[in-house]
Amino acid sequence: MSERISMSVERVDAREKIYGEALYIGDYRFEDMLFAKTVRSKVPRAKILNVKIPALPDGYFVVDRDDVPGKNRVKILVYDQPYFADGVVNYIGEPILLVVGPEREKVFEIARKVEVEYEEIPPILTIDDALSGKNQPIYGDDNCFVDYHYEKGNVKNAFANAETIVEGEYETGYQEHLYIEPQGVAAVFDGEKITIYGSMQCPYYIKRALAECLALDEKNVRVVQVTTGGAFGGKEEYPSLIAGQAAVAAMKTQKPVKLILDRTEDIMVSTKRHPSRTRYRAAIDADGKVIALDVDIIFDGGAYAGLSDVVLQRGMFSAAGVYNIPNISVHGRAVATNKVPTGAFRGFGAPQVFFAIERLFDKIASKLGENPVDLRLRHAISQGDFTATGGIMRQPVKIPEMVEKLEKMSDFRSKIGKSLPGDEPHIKRGYGLSLFFHGCGFTGNGENIIAAEAKLKKHSDGKVEILVANTEMGQGALTALRKIVAETLKIQFDDVIYELPDTDRVPDSGPTVASRTTMIVGGLLKKAAEEMRERWNEADEFEIMKKYHHPDYIRWNQETFEGDAYPTYSFGANVAEVDVDTITGEIAVRHIWAVFDVGITIDEVLMRGQAQGGVVQGTGYATIEVMEAQAGRLLQSTITDYTIPTTKDVPLVECAFIDNPYEYGPFGAKCAGELTLVGAAPAIAAAVENAIGREIVRIPIKPEEIIKKLD
Amino acid sequence: MNEFVYLPENLDEALEIRASTGAVPIAGGTDLMVRYRRGSGIPPQFDFPVVLIGKIDALRYIEVSADNIHIGSATTLTEIFMNEDVPQILKLAVGEMASPAIRNVATIGGNIGNASPAGDTLPPLYILDAKIVLKNLNGEREVPIEDFITGPGQTILRSDEIIYEVTIPIGNFDKIYYRKIGTRKALALSKVSFSAAVNYRGDVIDDMRFAFGAVAPVVIRSREIEGEFKNITFNELKNREGEIAQKYSPLINPIDDQRSTAEYRRKVSLRLLKFFIQNVI
Ligand SMILES: Cc1cc2nc3c(=O)[nH]c(=O)nc-3n(C[C@H](O)[C@H](O)[C@H](O)COP(=O)(O)OP(=O)(O)OC[C@H]3O[C@@H](n4cnc5c(N)ncnc54)[C@H](O)[C@@H]3O)c2cc1C
Repeated sequence: MSERISMSVERVDAREKIYGEALYIGDYRFEDMLFAKTVRSKVPRAKILNVKIPALPDGYFVVDRDDVPGKNRVKILVYDQPYFADGVVNYIGEPILLVVGPEREKVFEIARKVEVEYEEIPPILTIDDALSGKNQPIYGDDNCFVDYHYEKGNVKNAFANAETIVEGEYETGYQEHLYIEPQGVAAVFDGEKITIYGSMQCPYYIKRALAECLALDEKNVRVVQVTTGGAFGGKEEYPSLIAGQAAVAAMKTQKPVKLILDRTEDIMVSTKRHPSRTRYRAAIDADGKVIALDVDIIFDGGAYAGLSDVVLQRGMFSAAGVYNIPNISVHGRAVATNKVPTGAFRGFGAPQVFFAIERLFDKIASKLGENPVDLRLRHAISQGDFTATGGIMRQPVKIPEMVEKLEKMSDFRSKIGKSLPGDEPHIKRGYGLSLFFHGCGFTGNGENIIAAEAKLKKHSDGKVEILVANTEMGQGALTALRKIVAETLKIQFDDVIYELPDTDRVPDSGPTVASRTTMIVGGLLKKAAEEMRERWNEADEFEIMKKYHHPDYIRWNQETFEGDAYPTYSFGANVAEVDVDTITGEIAVRHIWAVFDVGITIDEVLMRGQAQGGVVQGTGYATIEVMEAQAGRLLQSTITDYTIPTTKDVPLVECAFIDNPYEYGPFGAKCAGELTLVGAAPAIAAAVENAIGREIVRIPIKPEEIIKKLD
Repeated sequence: MNEFVYLPENLDEALEIRASTGAVPIAGGTDLMVRYRRGSGIPPQFDFPVVLIGKIDALRYIEVSADNIHIGSATTLTEIFMNEDVPQILKLAVGEMASPAIRNVATIGGNIGNASPAGDTLPPLYILDAKIVLKNLNGEREVPIEDFITGPGQTILRSDEIIYEVTIPIGNFDKIYYRKIGTRKALALSKVSFSAAVNYRGDVIDDMRFAFGAVAPVVIRSREIEGEFKNITFNELKNREGEIAQKYSPLINPIDDQRSTAEYRRKVSLRLLKFFIQNVI
C-alpha cells in the first residue's frame, strides 16, 4: 500500500448497519399496503389446465398474466421468463400468480388453497438429457440458449504435431448466493407513475423491464434502491421479475404492494451459479510446452435464458486461464433444463472454467513429472502476449512477483505436489496453487453498449454530490466512490454526498455488476472531478456529466469473438493448505494465502473485506456448499441444509496486494470484487488431491466422494 | 388452530392441561416452531393445541443424588454444557450442537421428545444408560431411553404425560470418545455420530459401550454385542476388530437424504468404530 488513496477511512454505512438503524425493504411501511404471496409451480414441466381460486374475502385479489398491461416477459437480454406463467410451467417454483391482501397471514392461507391442475410434460433434468434430444426441447430446436465457438491459431495442426495429449473432464455444482437479506420489493402506483423500492443491484434494469411490462413510458417508472443486505450477483436480474409482479399488483389494486420472499422460497426460486461440465484436451510438444487447448464448456442454464449468454461468454474467454496458449478452440453451450434458472453470481462463469483449467494444469504437471508451479510459470502470460481471443495483454503482468510473494508468505513450493503428514496419523495434509484473472468490466463490447453516464453536482454550500445508478450492497461502493471524488477534488470526504440511487435523480451509469463500479464508474467520476476542480469557481451550482467509452486501443469483434474481450485484467494467486481426515473424508481448509493485483486498492480495508469474503465464498463453493437437484427439485432448500461456512469452517485467510496501476482506472484501480472468489476452489481441490493422492475433478468436494476414493 | 396455546404457571397446571386437552408440549421450540413455520413474521400454525413448558422452574434443574444425576427436561443445552456434574460424553455432544443462541433455548427434553435419529444428545444418553422419567397427574414411571424412543419421531409418551427428567447413573469411564460428522463444523445436523465409553483394568476391558447416531431409525446400541467383548485384552480386541464391525454391520441401516448418502453413513460408522478400536484405546 504505497498510495494515499489506499489508506482506509471508516465505511460510511458501517454505523447505521451495526446499530440496526438501516432500513431494509422489510422495514418499509406504506399506507394501505398489501402483502403478496406467490403461487408457484409444483412440477418441473407441465401445461396448466386449470387454476382453482378459493373464494376471496373483501380486499383480497389474485393477480396473474391477464393483469399484465404490457408484455408478460421479463426483459433481460431477450424477452425471457413470464412474470406470470403463460399456460405452461418450466421449473418447480415458477410463478403462476400472486395473492395479495392486507393481512399477510390471510394471504398465505389463500395462496395455500389455490389449486393448479397440471398436465405434465416429460421434463429435461440433466445436461445429458438437455443435449440428447430425447424430450421435446425447452428452447429453440437444439435446446441451447446459446452455442458459441471461437478459435485462435490452428488447433488441428497443433494436435497433429503433439508429443503428448492430456485430457480432463471437470464438473462444478450449483452455488446459492445466500445474501443475508432475501429478495424483496415494494411497488407504489399513483395513477400515472409506478415507483419500485427494493433490494437490488441494477435500478435501470428494473426500470426498462417495467416500462415494457406495464406499457408505461419510461419516465413513469421510477426505481429507488433501499439498503440492500447482500447480493453477490443474485440481485442483478432477478429483482426485475418480482418488481414487475408487485407493480402489476399495485396497478390492479391501486394500492402499494410489498413482495418479499421467505428464505426457503428464495433458495428454491432465485437464480444460482450455473452448474458446469468442461472437457479439455491439451496438446503438448516435445519440449513440454502446451501448444494447444481444445475446450468444450457446457453450462446448465435452467429453464429460462436469463444471463446465460453472457455468463457463458465470460467462461469461454477464461478458457486459457492465465496462460499463453498459441492455439485454442473453445466450444461453449448454455443448455436449457427444467430447473430453476441460473444466472449472475460473483465470478460470472469464470469460476467454473478456472476450476477446470487449473485442474488441467495440475494434471499436465503430473503427466510431465514437473512441479506444478514451474509448469505454470513457464506458461504464464506476460505483457504483449495474446489472450485466448487474440487480444493483446497490454498492461504489465506480475504473475512471477505474485508467486514469489506467495512463497514468502507460505513457503509452499517445497510442500506442493505431495501428501504430507497432518497433526495426527489419520490426517493427511496437502497444498495447492491456483493462478487466475478476472476480465475487468463488461465482457466484449458491453461497456460500449451501456455507455455509462456519471454525474457530479456541485451544490451551493460547496458540497459535491455523486449522481450515479450504482448501488451499495455491502461491497463498499458508497465509500469507495466518495473517496475517489474527495481525493480528486481535494475536499473533505464528508463533503461528498452519495445517496442510494433513485432513477428519477441519477443517470444510467450501468448496473452494479462485473466488478465495474470502481474502475469504470469511479473512472468517470474521477474525470468529472478533475474537470470540476478546474471549473470550481465558475458557478455556485453546476453539474458535470461524463460518458464512458472504451480506451481507443480496444479492438473487439462480437461476431467472431476476436480481440480484446476486456480492457484490462486483474490477477490473483492462491495457495490452500488443507487437512483431509482419512477416516471420515472430511476436509478442513486450514489456511489460504492470497495475493491479488487489482491495480491500486482504493481502500485497503475495504479491499481486504472483499478479499477475505471472496476467498471464504470460494471455499464454501469448493467444499460444503452442496446443492443438488433430484427430479427437478433442489434437495438443499433450507438454510439448515444449504451450508455456507461458519466462523468455525473459515480458514485463516492471509492476503496481500501487488501494486500495478492501470492507466485508465481511477488512481490506477482495476476490478476487484469478483476476482477474489475465483481461485479458492482450484487451489483447494489441488490441495485435497495432493493430500490423498487421488484425482479431484468435481466441486463441491464431498466427504462422500473422498471416502469412495479412499476405499 | 392457534387459539389453543396454554401457558401454565407450574408443573401441576401443565399436567392438568395435558390430561384434559392433550396439548403438545413446547419447551425451547427449536424443533416445533421450525417444523410448523409459515412465513417470516407470521406465527407458526399448529393443527393441535400446545402447552408452553420451557419456563416451568420445576423442570429446570441439574441435581446429584447418591447414585444418579437428575436433569430436568426443560434444562437448556447451555445449562447442561456449563454444569460440572454432567458426564463428559454428554457435554461433548452438547458442545457440538447447533449454535450458542439455539443452545440457550433448546432443551434436553426437546431433543429426546423429538426422537430424531440425528438427535445428538441421544447416543451419549444411550451409552450412559439414561432413564427417562415420565409424569402425569397420577404419578410417574421411569423407562430406559431405548425403550422410550421407538422410531423416528416415535416415543411411548402418553397423551397425558410429559418428560419430567433424565436420570443418569453416576459412573466414571476410563476412556470416552465422541465424533460428530456434520454438514459443516458448527450449526450442522449430524450425518453420522459415533460415541464410545470404556472401562478397563490394566489391559483388560471391563466394560465397553458403543452408540451410533443418524444411521438407523433409532440410535444403535447393542448390549448383546458389547457383552461378547468383555474381559478381553486390548490386543485381542484389536485382533477381533473385523468381527466386531461385522456384528454391528447389520444394525446400521442408514438412508440417503439431502445431507449425505446411506453408503457414506454406513462406511464411516464402521470406519470410526475400527479407528476407535485400533487407534484410540
Ligand atoms: C438452527 C438449529 C440447529 C440445530 N442443531 C441441532 C444439532 O446440532 N443437534 C441436534 O440434535 N439438534 C439440533 N437442532 C434441533 C433442536 O434444537 C434440538 O432437538 C433441541 O434439543 C430441541 O429442544 P427444544 O426444547 O427446542 O424442543 P421443542 O421444539 O420445544 O420440542 C421438540 C419435541 O419434543 C417435545 N417435547 C419437548 N419437551 C418435552 C417434554 N418435557 N415432555 C414431552 N415432550 C416434550 C415436543 O412436543 C416436540 O415434539 C437444531 C435446531 C435448529 C433450529
